[in-house]
Amino acid sequence: MTTRLVCGGALIGVIAVAYLAATQPEPTRTILVIVALVAALALVIAFVPGRPSARASVAAVEPEALTPHADLGAQPGVAEVLEALPVGVMIIGEDGKIRSFNAAAGEVFGVPADRATNRALIEIVRNFELDKRVAATLRDGVEETGELAYVAAQQRHLQVTTRVLAGEGSRSALVIVTDQTRMRELETLRREFVSNVSHELRTPLTAVKLMVETLQTGVERPASDEFLGSIAQETERMIALVEDLLDLARLESGKLEMRLSTVDIGELCRQAAQAQRARAHTLGILLECSTPDTPITISADRDKLFQVIANLLDNALRHTPRSGQVRLAASNSKGAVNIVVSDTGSGIPSTALPHIFERFYVVDPARARSRSGTGLGLAIVKHIIEAHGGSIAATSELGVGTSFHCTFTNV
Amino acid sequence: MGRENFHRILEETQQNVLRMGSLVEEAITKAVDALTRSDTKLADEILKADDYVDDLNVLIETNCLNLLALQQPMASDLRTIAAMLDIVIDLERIGDHACDIAQITKNLANEPQLKPLVDIPLMAAKAREMLRESLDAFSHHDAQAAHEVPRKDDEVDRLYRKVFAELIQFMANDPKAIGRASNLLLVALYLERIADHSTNICERVVYMVEGVPKKLKRSVVEFNEVLAHSDEIMQTSTPAAADTASAS
Repeated sequence: MTTRLVCGGALIGVIAVAYLAATQPEPTRTILVIVALVAALALVIAFVPGRPSARASVAAVEPEALTPHADLGAQPGVAEVLEALPVGVMIIGEDGKIRSFNAAAGEVFGVPADRATNRALIEIVRNFELDKRVAATLRDGVEETGELAYVAAQQRHLQVTTRVLAGEGSRSALVIVTDQTRMRELETLRREFVSNVSHELRTPLTAVKLMVETLQTGVERPASDEFLGSIAQETERMIALVEDLLDLARLESGKLEMRLSTVDIGELCRQAAQAQRARAHTLGILLECSTPDTPITISADRDKLFQVIANLLDNALRHTPRSGQVRLAASNSKGAVNIVVSDTGSGIPSTALPHIFERFYVVDPARARSRSGTGLGLAIVKHIIEAHGGSIAATSELGVGTSFHCTFTNV
Repeated sequence: MGRENFHRILEETQQNVLRMGSLVEEAITKAVDALTRSDTKLADEILKADDYVDDLNVLIETNCLNLLALQQPMASDLRTIAAMLDIVIDLERIGDHACDIAQITKNLANEPQLKPLVDIPLMAAKAREMLRESLDAFSHHDAQAAHEVPRKDDEVDRLYRKVFAELIQFMANDPKAIGRASNLLLVALYLERIADHSTNICERVVYMVEGVPKKLKRSVVEFNEVLAHSDEIMQTSTPAAADTASAS
């Protein structure tokens, strides 16, 4: 992060804060940011023209110049620095009123900065714990750094640091707030992902291990044939999972090579439906494919798009009961190409619908296991469609069925 | 006590109302969170934190009475003090309801979960939103905002009726679920009451700002309708567990 330091209209320097995001633990990163912040503020104070204690170089800044001062917010140029900081900064006066409240603080607490000044902290940020910490800083000079859960429209996880700003005969509190909500979410996603992958791989591996051990005891045919068949099936499942994971990793990192050519969507749909027809027949499901007689062409990666349709059909067949119906339709209207895959399956609850494109999200974990999905199919579908500049949406009604609508506009 | 001192204490007391409000707001969220996760440790924290709410209640009441007795305030100052005396009663009751929910969490801790909670957390979020907005209206002396908040009560009542019907269905299907379902029914009732207390706060804000006592329009849960529906459920349901029990 870099920010220009402008004082009295003149550029006096640049603050550069480097986050060692991937390699440093969270407390270290926070300390680095706070140290950089305090150093930057002290530098600005030291460089303010006309200030009696101004120094010409960083090396000449004496330790006492690094102590934040109660009039910090009022120093020329400092207001601009505070405003540009990506972390929330508040200065609370001795009377408990907000003296300074930067834009980042306004974003964290959902309050416009201009409404906050000269109001009591509790009026603007209604959080008892924060109010208590600031009161302890103002009253007893307590300085601390700690987490804080702040619930407004949504819950946020904050890291709050309170520091004393000593003035002449008065004391203010400097409050530095970093919003760690997104970091927490990403951390949770990462943990869940690792846990899901481990689980998905361990389950078939355990089954394979047990079957191999049983075979080693000298099981005879036909039981051994059955075991070998199961081992082959579980191995296929693991290979499919690893392939899906690799596909997803490539798609998410943007490294997947797209081999664009002119593709007839109608023909592609007919081929995809044909590939699944035998399976649909075995499952007792009627698979219909409806495409216009004239070609509908778009610029796309043929194999990837085939994978999209195959995944959606596979999904529909897995969730539709015997005697049900799966329908694949392609159409061309208003400059857009649409592919719709609909089924007469059990449907998806409205609470689950927004999550179905997430990795490893399964609507009903109890049933998913028996239906052998990897939990990555729809995530892959969404990424491929978006890589083509298209979009996908799902509609569903419990007990009636589900429809996936893919739209491509780069016709 | 000079006028300057009067205004300082009045301002401090208003801030204490907001402090009390923020404590009970947090208590609602934590209470439903504890219930959803069967977290008895969090439930204990909520019960303990209620002491702060009670302390603030006493402090606010004492300050209000002192201001009334010693300063004979008039006009908007008088109405603000009168409003605060009413608002703290509502806040204290909301805090008690959060404690009631925490206690239910502890009661149900050793029982299997009846079902994943979906509508109860939604009710809690809505009720809390109403409380937050009513306190915002108080903080900013905003009568217009106070008029808006009670409209959200319809959604809380709709969810309440839904939860009510669903829990009655659970009881009808399995008599063993009656204990757990009736506890959850109480949770829904407490949340519905919290929304009503928020409407009360809004009425006090309107009085404080406009100087005219006004009953704000609030939706009423039609219990006859809900109970008639429950009777229907009870008559049509075949309690499998009860049949098994009587057969054995």
